Amino acid sequence: MTFMLAGPAVYVLWLSFTVSNFGQNPQFVGWQNYAAILTDRYFWTAAWNTFIVVNAVVYIELLLAVLVALVVASLKTGRMLMFAVVLVPYGISEVVGVLSWRFLADPSIGLITNTLALIGIDFNWTLNPEAALVLITTISIWHHLPFSFVIIYAAIISVPNELYEAARVDGATKWQEFWLITAPIIVPAALLAIIFRYVFAFRMFSEVWLVTQGGPIRLTEVLGTYLYRTGFRYSDFGGAAATGWLMVLGSLLLAAIYLRAIYRSAFRDA
Amino acid sequence: MRKFIGRFGKALAVGLISVWSLFPIAYVVLNAFKQHRDIFVFPPDVIFTPTFDNFISIAEVYPQFFGYMLNSLLISVSATLVCVVASALAGYVYSRFRGKALAASAFYLVAIRLLPPLVITIPLFPWVNILGLADTYWVLIALYAAFWLPLNVLIMKEFIDQIPRSLDESAIIDGASEWQLLRHIILPLSAQGMVACAVFVFVFSWNEYVYAFIFTIQNAKTTPLVLAEIMDSVTGTNYGVLFAAATIQLIPVVLLVLVLQRQLVAGLTAGAVKG
Repeated sequence: MTFMLAGPAVYVLWLSFTVSNFGQNPQFVGWQNYAAILTDRYFWTAAWNTFIVVNAVVYIELLLAVLVALVVASLKTGRMLMFAVVLVPYGISEVVGVLSWRFLADPSIGLITNTLALIGIDFNWTLNPEAALVLITTISIWHHLPFSFVIIYAAIISVPNELYEAARVDGATKWQEFWLITAPIIVPAALLAIIFRYVFAFRMFSEVWLVTQGGPIRLTEVLGTYLYRTGFRYSDFGGAAATGWLMVLGSLLLAAIYLRAIYRSAFRDA
Repeated sequence: MRKFIGRFGKALAVGLISVWSLFPIAYVVLNAFKQHRDIFVFPPDVIFTPTFDNFISIAEVYPQFFGYMLNSLLISVSATLVCVVASALAGYVYSRFRGKALAASAFYLVAIRLLPPLVITIPLFPWVNILGLADTYWVLIALYAAFWLPLNVLIMKEFIDQIPRSLDESAIIDGASEWQLLRHIILPLSAQGMVACAVFVFVFSWNEYVYAFIFTIQNAKTTPLVLAEIMDSVTGTNYGVLFAAATIQLIPVVLLVLVLQRQLVAGLTAGAVKG
């Protein structure tokens, strides 16, 4: 079992120190691949874009998930229906999601673009890399909100109703109810959601590939597309493997504060 | 008055959430039924004469589409069967037996999911080529089944945990073999869990893009891949046809979710309790 766990990881590590032809006939080259990547300015654009997009996705999505979960949990009728409605995007293929958003935000005919134009905002993601990253972030949040939502929602509805009733008897306001009862329950769930989303958002590939392919002139590249381009377009599997390792390290590093928080709270309980 | 504002605010929030969640999909489906000239109107017409022309044109404009849908169907169904059988058996083992090796393998199952799929393709790619599996159904079936295995094993374990052990024991006393115990007691009683697991794998396989993008070239291409290709090359008059194709791609998922709602919620709850 340990071999199975370590197998692929070590193999990627080994590949990252070699030069090969699509992974065949690897020749050992030491740190050369890492040096090549770390001096490639496209890598740094990709890393910076990933950093910005991942952070935006994780925190905006968490905020939305909490708000949506609070609204859905407070409904008296139609709760199941709304639960289902919120989950819809998770069952949709990334390709169809991107197709819809790309058309909605089409520079010349899109519904969103035209509406924004009415209030004087020019949104053209085909020319402007920042706009493209905004679109990519939006699509990613749209697609994955159900994931964070389920985690937070499960935590919110696990609070027994008596707790709220007792608080009301004691004369707590709605605001106090939220901060003193609901919020402490949400925090551990939110930590979990943040860790998972850091790890999952870091591997972002299809949204970017399907919207811009990393262009114009590789300005909207993220680490996922950088890895793909290095490995499969420039047939540099060593470089791709090295990027892969840097990606895994990066996501763990970003999630480290939260991992530590979870570790400590588990430790305190034990 | 305050109550009224509260209720109004909640209705507004519900409306906003629904629009956010459903509108992009509804927009694709609506446009699939619009005539080409109606698609590009701004502001869009809410009322229009629906047409099936776009659906009829799919076979003509993108003749390869339905063949690739068949690929998707074969791959998704096979991956689902493999994954559900494996998860049910593994779930049974994890639920009824204890041991160091088992605990380690459970940890491994979860840990491996943290590696990005794209990173996994790098070591896989040379091997897939050496084994001659590139661009075949097999590689995608194996990958899709393996990808959902960890979570489905956990879900199945939750379900099988709920079956009282006294049932196992009385079956054994009555002389049932382990296989009979599985077939006549465990599997029928955890059927709800298996249905949920099946839907998860199927929907994932049906929609998946990255693995299909890397491991197929021509023969084993799946629907999402073809849609992406059409999306990149589409011009004016064919937008409606693209929307129609995307709408057809949505149908199996919508049907499954509508029919199997109850089992899905049970499965999600089992997963969420664990998570």
